Amino acid sequence: MGLEAFFFYIFSIAAVASAILVIIARNPVHAVLFLILAFFNAAGLFVLLGAEFLAMLLVIVYVGAVAVLFLFVVMMLDVDFAELRAGFIKNAGLGAIVGGIVMLELIMVLGFQSYSSQIIGNPAAPAPLVTDNVTNTEALGRILYTKYIFFFQVAGLILLVAMIGAIVLTLRHKEGVRRQSIAVQVARTPETAMEIIKVAPGQSVFPKNEGPAE
Amino acid sequence: MEIGIGHYLTVAAMLFTIGIFGIFLNRKNVIVILMSVELMLLAVNINLVAFSSFNKDLVGQVFAMMVLTVAAAEAAVGLAIIVVYYRNRGSIAVEDINMMKG
Amino acid sequence: MPEELQIYAPLLPEIILALGAMALLMYGVFRPETESEAETVGWLAILVMIAAAITIVWYGNGTVRLFEGAFVDDAFARFMKLLTLGGGAVALMLSFDDFRNLRIMKFEYPVLVLLSTVGMMLMISAGDLIALYVGLELSSLALYVIAAYRRDSVKASEAGLKYFVLGALSSGMLLYGSSLIYGFAGSTNFQVIANAAKGAEVATNLWLIFGLVFLMVGLAFKVSAVPFHMWTPDVYEGSATPVTTFFATAPKVAAMALLVRVTVGAFPAIAMQWQQIITFIAIASMLLGAFAAIGQTNIKRLMAYSSIANVGFALVGLAANSAEGTQAVLVYMAIYVVMTLGVFACILSMRRADQAVEEIEELAGLARNNLPMAFALMILMFALAGIPPLVGFFGKYFVFMAAVKAGLYPLAVVGVLASVVGAYYYLRIIKVMFFDDSKEKFEPVRFKAGAVIAAAALIMIFGVIWLGPFTDYAMAAAQSFTFVK
Repeated sequence: MGLEAFFFYIFSIAAVASAILVIIARNPVHAVLFLILAFFNAAGLFVLLGAEFLAMLLVIVYVGAVAVLFLFVVMMLDVDFAELRAGFIKNAGLGAIVGGIVMLELIMVLGFQSYSSQIIGNPAAPAPLVTDNVTNTEALGRILYTKYIFFFQVAGLILLVAMIGAIVLTLRHKEGVRRQSIAVQVARTPETAMEIIKVAPGQSVFPKNEGPAE
Repeated sequence: MEIGIGHYLTVAAMLFTIGIFGIFLNRKNVIVILMSVELMLLAVNINLVAFSSFNKDLVGQVFAMMVLTVAAAEAAVGLAIIVVYYRNRGSIAVEDINMMKG
Repeated sequence: MPEELQIYAPLLPEIILALGAMALLMYGVFRPETESEAETVGWLAILVMIAAAITIVWYGNGTVRLFEGAFVDDAFARFMKLLTLGGGAVALMLSFDDFRNLRIMKFEYPVLVLLSTVGMMLMISAGDLIALYVGLELSSLALYVIAAYRRDSVKASEAGLKYFVLGALSSGMLLYGSSLIYGFAGSTNFQVIANAAKGAEVATNLWLIFGLVFLMVGLAFKVSAVPFHMWTPDVYEGSATPVTTFFATAPKVAAMALLVRVTVGAFPAIAMQWQQIITFIAIASMLLGAFAAIGQTNIKRLMAYSSIANVGFALVGLAANSAEGTQAVLVYMAIYVVMTLGVFACILSMRRADQAVEEIEELAGLARNNLPMAFALMILMFALAGIPPLVGFFGKYFVFMAAVKAGLYPLAVVGVLASVVGAYYYLRIIKVMFFDDSKEKFEPVRFKAGAVIAAAALIMIFGVIWLGPFTDYAMAAAQSFTFVK
């Protein structure tokens, strides 16, 4: 068994095992952590496949952002998760049978059929050869901002929609909370901020009946 | 034993079915459902990268990048909807979703 | 426009919409948060949509492929885009008054509608699996948000959640299918896939078949065809009515266009396989839409089942796999959009004491209280039922004729049966309006809704005059594809 096979089996067994734990974990915090583990192992598989950039992206985007967002929501919402598991066992038996059959079918069809793509030798964006001395990241960058700029721009729009959507749905301005308004603060001039009062000798600075609280 | 594309596709098929299974298993818990969807998308990414690697074609990796981007956006929107729902109902149980019969 | 940029002219409508959305977003953020400012943004959004539509008509010429075939601009795309923009703009206009009532008149809604429309137009023009996916997600993500837009309502947030969960599941399926097809063909481009799928032995290629099935599942969800229709009644009922109006028009058109483009454009060689799937989906949708609608008491739920049935009818045209069939799909969707807008404008006018009422019984005796509205709604219901000589009849006629020409007799027979059953519940509404005891009056119909109702009803009556040129235009659009028998 070669080194590649060794690592392949380690990564894939760990990925599948942690995926199973994601869906059966009792505690959703554990589920998120197992999800992170699954993503780490998938990143390992990507490295084996020579897609280093995507592997790093998976770790940074998923573990760094998405999984943290999940953890944040799980902890923010005070949910009784034990109650949510009622009916879990009831569903599990039938689901496992159906899921198992589907999985076996997919594996038999896809895993063991001899694979050959229809256009071998004529790809749209050929991967660089080892001799080209071009890294995976550079090769992706070369096509992403030229040939595939269209997708890149649309992906930007998708992120914009997600941003607007999350804000529209969840942002609430609480009544009666004083906010800092930087524009107003900066726009203050000495004239609006200060009042010059001539104090006659023997008199208070304050008007009558409005003296400072003792 | 040589590691061929079939091996990677098998792993992806397993993850994909685990994801679908997770949705039916955790019918009440929306957050776990969302995680199961993430597993499905992970399976798709493994497929795409495996094909990309064995075809020596980078398009699959570009596709996988788009899937990653969209999955992140989807998680953000989905969690926002869950928060809204929780504010209204005080719970995130899906089977509670019976205001309307469906 | 500079010479080098001239080739990107077909992309101009999308660019206008996207930049317009961003500009309106900035405008909305920096102006005070008032309802009138929000309405200004809404009208400006409609202007942006009109500008995009004008550019489509102005620059549209022939078939252009941009970005290695990822973006296709042809007569079919232009037809569907104009329809999407029209439906979206009218639905947006109808939202203003109702959103003021519901106190959710905010500038984000028009912006999200614009961005969602960009996504739909990209779907319509998709010539590549990646373009299909990003366009679909751009439109869907915005739709998830606006389904839950009435965020203080339990029903709306529930609708948003249901739509989101099922939508995410279906786009996962669609992606898995896409990845298998990419693996099979070695490319994401539809033309390359179509070439790769030629030859006898590929019909048994399990990669391709599995990929196609998964892809179809995802797309069937988006058009809300049976068996992936479960979300439709709940989302229609739960969302705010203006949002439902939008859901029932523009996204349906775009998803149907995408379905045509994928089946006819990318898989002409294995037409036998996808025709079977489409036939099954069409029959199931027509029957379920017809029978499940009978027991409904809420008019929005009724319209949900009606839209499921209508999608089924449109799919009959697609199943024919011919130029006539595709022409019938185009004509059917156009008529469907007009009818749906009219009916929803009526639903938006069902208000008492500033509260929307949605039960069918509330329409009782409408003929005595508001005869023009009752008459217009009657016309629209007759049109939905497909009674000649209203335009609604011709939509069904073209679809069934295409199916008969293609030799799909069982499909046509089931379709006719389903429309007979469907006629029952449409006629029931007319009966309630004209013959049941009068209920309290509705508030007077607002101007915008009234104009839409009147326009839709008039088109249903007099549209026959322009039907000839219109079908020719649709035929020209349908001939953007080459059909393989």
